[in-house]
Amino acid sequence: MTPLDPPLNPQTGKPLAATDLEAIFPKELIRQEMSAERWIDIPDEVREILKLWRPTPLYRAHRLEEHLKTPAKIYYKYEGVSPAGSHKPNTAVPQAYYNMKAGIERIATETGAGQWGSALSMATSFFDLQCRVYMVRASFDQKPYRKSIMQVWGAECVASPSELTNSGRAILKEHPDTGGSLGIAISEAVEDAATHDNTNYALGSVLNHVLLHQTVEGQELKKQLAIVDDYPDVIYGCVGGGSNFPGMCFPFVPDKLKDKKEIRMVACEPAACPTLTKGLYAYDFGDTARLTPLLKMYTLGHDFIPPSIHAGGLRYHGDAPLLCNLVHDGVIEGQSFHQNEVFKAAVTFARTEGILPAPESAHAIKPAIDDAIECKKTGEEKTIVICLSGHGHFDLSSYDAYFSGNLVDYEYPEELVKQSLAKIPKF
Amino acid sequence: MINPVAGMGGVVGLKGTDGLAEEARRRGAKPAAPRRAETALKDLLGLDALFFTASGEMGESALRRCGLEYQVVHRASEESSAEDTKKACISFLEKGADLVVFCGGDGTARDVSGVIRSKIPIIGIPAGVKMHSGVFAISPRAAGELIRGDLEGDLNTRETEIVDVDEEKYRSGTLDTKIYGIAMTPYQPVLVQERKQIYASRDEDEFKLQIAIFASEFMRDGSAYILGAGTTTAKIAEVLGVEKTLLGVDVVQNGRTICRDASERDLLGILEEVGKAKIIVSPIGAQGFVLGRGSQQISPKVLRKAGPENLIIVATPHKLKETPRLLVDTGDFDLDETISGKRQVICGYRIAQRKEVVASSKVGTDEND
Repeated sequence: MTPLDPPLNPQTGKPLAATDLEAIFPKELIRQEMSAERWIDIPDEVREILKLWRPTPLYRAHRLEEHLKTPAKIYYKYEGVSPAGSHKPNTAVPQAYYNMKAGIERIATETGAGQWGSALSMATSFFDLQCRVYMVRASFDQKPYRKSIMQVWGAECVASPSELTNSGRAILKEHPDTGGSLGIAISEAVEDAATHDNTNYALGSVLNHVLLHQTVEGQELKKQLAIVDDYPDVIYGCVGGGSNFPGMCFPFVPDKLKDKKEIRMVACEPAACPTLTKGLYAYDFGDTARLTPLLKMYTLGHDFIPPSIHAGGLRYHGDAPLLCNLVHDGVIEGQSFHQNEVFKAAVTFARTEGILPAPESAHAIKPAIDDAIECKKTGEEKTIVICLSGHGHFDLSSYDAYFSGNLVDYEYPEELVKQSLAKIPKF
Repeated sequence: MINPVAGMGGVVGLKGTDGLAEEARRRGAKPAAPRRAETALKDLLGLDALFFTASGEMGESALRRCGLEYQVVHRASEESSAEDTKKACISFLEKGADLVVFCGGDGTARDVSGVIRSKIPIIGIPAGVKMHSGVFAISPRAAGELIRGDLEGDLNTRETEIVDVDEEKYRSGTLDTKIYGIAMTPYQPVLVQERKQIYASRDEDEFKLQIAIFASEFMRDGSAYILGAGTTTAKIAEVLGVEKTLLGVDVVQNGRTICRDASERDLLGILEEVGKAKIIVSPIGAQGFVLGRGSQQISPKVLRKAGPENLIIVATPHKLKETPRLLVDTGDFDLDETISGKRQVICGYRIAQRKEVVASSKVGTDEND
């Protein structure tokens, strides 16, 4: 196995020191970020809160199996039962907790589609912290009820770019009508945290400590399957920055590496933003504004702005370094899908199992259905697990667009991009 | 400006009405253009606008029947002709009109745009036999909405191609299409799909620029690039800093033009010399023809020699939204078949769409008649 390449300080080009992060993260989270320990205890205060909805249910998709007439066994682990509607609270709660412990009074963050902002709003309300969420303007306008739900949990949700930060004001001066971007929202939140003494920053994906918190999913999955004496042949999960999917499958990685278990773990991404399947494995910035450390990951380039697909949560140019490392070593594989086929699978799922999947989560349903249909031909009684990371109750305008035939199938022109990069000097 | 005889030839199998209105009438064709014009105009009642028009069936009668305010600025001859169209358009410009609305087909579009050029926007109410030009609305009712939107200031305008087929040759079985000019036309911004676009721009020009910047990057590979006609490929040349004939086909290699306004023979010669080349084309006209309209120098021979896999299609999301599928009609059915299917169309910086490309022989060529 290839050891994980460290994040680099972009100024020095040297591996990042813990002190580099102290301005925006509490010490305990930095320790977890850099830890190589196998187990890190979950504090009782965090367990108490996670108990509100955990363990999340593992369902057997009997009706979907029947509909497909497949001999395969399809399971799905449903993270949409959390109060915020997705897997995001799994890390929002511990992050809020460690910040509270460190004496921090306020947290600033960004959100794209709104899942992360909602989860952190809830988590901060549990620990009496203030929270400000910079939400990408385009999503802010498109999903107004995200703001409402954050307000219910006591957080302040502002459209980004905003008049509240230097980076926001600078962008607005040049582009008063801009819909914003995740890169800009990150810059605003980081600036907010760096310029307020009592304020820290929180990130909902990509980083090691986030993935660590999410592994609660996979540990539950393993125990739940053991109860019915089963074990996955394959796990499908969607990947945007990579937190839900690694959380679900990392606990199975040692089985594959040490015990030589035959298990496939498939990271599912949109064809419009195919980081793992078409990206370059290299050091790159985590954000558009080049504020973050350099991370070794599969990347489409920090200047790449993915097209406007309806799975907003999967529009990220890079992916978690831990996940990328395992993809690079062939332990985990990537697959990409077009949005129309993904929505079609989501509708089939909703009409058989009842649950309305988030468009992001539906990326994992599509290949699971294909796989189950293939089993019909081979007769294989494969055990298939879908990570159903959230519900789609805030995404109904996207379903509308699908039904009215207005969804465009974007894709990434890989050959031409490679051709164009061939003559550019390397970073 | 209504061409009262537009479309009459199509119904009776004449593939166009240029110079054949009398024959069409003899074969029993009835004028349909005035009725189609009224469909577009009748929704405009109450709009604060004054219409300049030509007398009788060339506009006056339809405007009167729709109850719209108008002023006749050109007396048409008994048997209206292309001359009347052109003269009426000259008067429209003199009167300081803001928008030209005409009803007809590609022939009428040519006559109108020959006078108006890019001075003011043009909207075509579709009523002809052939309507490949980009100024046509998809239906008379849609034309009405565009007129209203343009006058109320809700729309952007863009450049588009005026395309026509030589009817004489077409009747004898040869399809010879040319781009005759560039006109300005209003369009509905792409709303639904682009809402989440970062730095969203409803402006088509910005997407043209994105495509051009991406192309200028991948064109550094040393290959010869055959650039088809049109405004998107012209933008690529502009970004590369090379000269390009707007209505012709040019060949660019390593940042310079190696052949201007190339003929089929020129292209074959270059292919002979350099071994292989890549071809960049953009859909022409309202129906989304990628090949077989506009740049016919890029012939089946040229395509086969370059290799169909070296065909790169570029188009703005706006253009792609207008057409459910792209069409090819090279005249070589096997080649059309090879090219058709789901293809990648570059629509922005490092962004493509997957779009259906269909051999037009499979959809029938007369769907607009």
